[in-house]
Amino acid sequence: MAPVQTANDRVCLKGVSVRFGAREVLRDLTLALDSRRVGIVGRNGSGKTTLARLIAGLIAPDAGRVMVAGVDVCTDRKAAIRTVGILFQNPDHQIIFPTVEEELAFGLRQLGQPKAEAREGAHAMLARFGREDWAERAVDGLSQGQRHLVCLMAVLAMEPRVIVLDEPFAGLDIPTIRALRRYLEALPVTLIQVSHDISALQSYERVIWLEGGQVAADGPAGETLARYLAAMQEVDDADADL
Amino acid sequence: MERQITLIALFAALIAVLGLVPQFTLASGVPITAQGMGIMLCGTVLGAKRGALAVLLFLALVALGLPLLAGGRGGLGVFVGPTTGFLIGFPIAAFVAGWIVERMRNTPILTAAFIGAVIGGIPVLYVFGVIGMSITLDKTLVEAALLVTPFIPGDLIKAGLAAALTASLLKARPASVLSRG
Amino acid sequence: MLTLTSEIRTPYHPIRAGAKLALLCAATVGLFMLDSLGAMLAANAAVAGLYLVPGRQFAKDGLRLLKPVWFFVALVLAWHLLTQDGRAGLIIALRLTAAVALANLVTMSTRFDDMVEVVLWLLSPLRRLGVRTAPIGFAIVLVVRFIPVLLAKARNLIEAWRARSPRRAGWQVALPIALVAVDDAEHVAEALRARGGFDAE
Repeated sequence: MAPVQTANDRVCLKGVSVRFGAREVLRDLTLALDSRRVGIVGRNGSGKTTLARLIAGLIAPDAGRVMVAGVDVCTDRKAAIRTVGILFQNPDHQIIFPTVEEELAFGLRQLGQPKAEAREGAHAMLARFGREDWAERAVDGLSQGQRHLVCLMAVLAMEPRVIVLDEPFAGLDIPTIRALRRYLEALPVTLIQVSHDISALQSYERVIWLEGGQVAADGPAGETLARYLAAMQEVDDADADL
Repeated sequence: MERQITLIALFAALIAVLGLVPQFTLASGVPITAQGMGIMLCGTVLGAKRGALAVLLFLALVALGLPLLAGGRGGLGVFVGPTTGFLIGFPIAAFVAGWIVERMRNTPILTAAFIGAVIGGIPVLYVFGVIGMSITLDKTLVEAALLVTPFIPGDLIKAGLAAALTASLLKARPASVLSRG
Repeated sequence: MLTLTSEIRTPYHPIRAGAKLALLCAATVGLFMLDSLGAMLAANAAVAGLYLVPGRQFAKDGLRLLKPVWFFVALVLAWHLLTQDGRAGLIIALRLTAAVALANLVTMSTRFDDMVEVVLWLLSPLRRLGVRTAPIGFAIVLVVRFIPVLLAKARNLIEAWRARSPRRAGWQVALPIALVAVDDAEHVAEALRARGGFDAE
């Protein structure tokens, strides 16, 4: 089943630079992403986490513009939250409300829905995943994997066109990763995944390798990943991030 | 013992972090900082003695040269300025707030914490603050009191938040609420 | 660790922290005892001189540390001008400025670790009364550790809020921040216990 591609869902970076103090994290980056499944690999410190946050509109570029589906995600936050969602690595750094229902409804309320409608939307999302009984449950009592799922549902409830995933499976066991991955792959939205996990990106259409804030390779998954792996084998122990 | 010391250190750090939260401005144009809420929380969550210790620890670090007061202020200079009275009042405010929560053991925590936060954070704290200001600015107590009244509505909001937070903490992490231990 | 100690070397840096603090106390008491305009002007000139010795950049940094005082200086001067007692207002304002500036000078010229040592030394007589001072040193270290960790966690949660809302983070983030903070404290306490803790002394 070939996913329907709309030129509208394009993620466009034009001449984007980001600086943290004296350090230039991303340098003059220009990218046009219109594949359904895009992977981003790179070493720690290569700028991939910054790129993820840029696409989600959470960081303002020091130069250039970031557009997702025609929306300037940094300046037009209202439209941005309808367009792009982001899933962070650690659910504990993401879940704000004590119960599952409130957590899911939060995004909907921020989209402008009145309380009752937002609650219904939350319940509908839970039903989609067969978890209606989670509504009143305290997030505290859920397992790590279950909390990851809550985060995913909270993002999906807002029906974004693009979802950015920042190493979403760290710390989970294999069956849980498999199950979450199955949910993700079935989604019709565009996924942009930042990952260390090469196997997760094998089936992706396009993979970009970031190195030192610039694009080192960009192309079909198989090619880029092979080049990335080869380069990583060559890297000396002395070059490790220790 | 370890849990108590780490919680005291944590809450001292919390006061510092709350000082970094950007100021709200009330409709009346008065800026309120979140730091006062940290003082109240030390009392309502940790109790009288440990709450006061946490605040004293915080003040010690400010005196030693860390810019932990709201606005990035710190060093010995802040102890000689007009806000000195408030700084002296901080640990006492926390103590009173905690003492009230501990004594009102049979009252639901939300109410007890609110009462504690209000009494400790407003009349008790302001007495010291006003005296301090009147001395350093060479004004009468009444004049100094007038200067601080606009901040009271903001403090009431802080007390409400502190109470709500204390109650939620008691539900979610009862072992950390030493005032009801 | 971000402290207010100046990176510019001054002739005051090598002076022992305890000595500086003692001098500061004496000077501050003196300032509050004197009551003439002439004395206040002279005091401020002297303090300004002390600041200029290490150079203009140092003096500029010192001026920046005085920013919070300007508000009160303006307040006092305005008040006294309105009550037609400008002279008294000027004396108060000058005293305030000199006192705070002197205190800041000690802060800017003394290392954090040296200050901690003075504090522990001052508290040492308590040991004879049975009070254990080791946990105090520990507590100081712990606070310094907790602050950046708490800040990072707060930032993460605020970012998570901003990812789903066009508005600034609201009061609701206070609870999850408090929870991760308390959990972190629990882990630290556990680690301490695993390494012998405080009771094993």
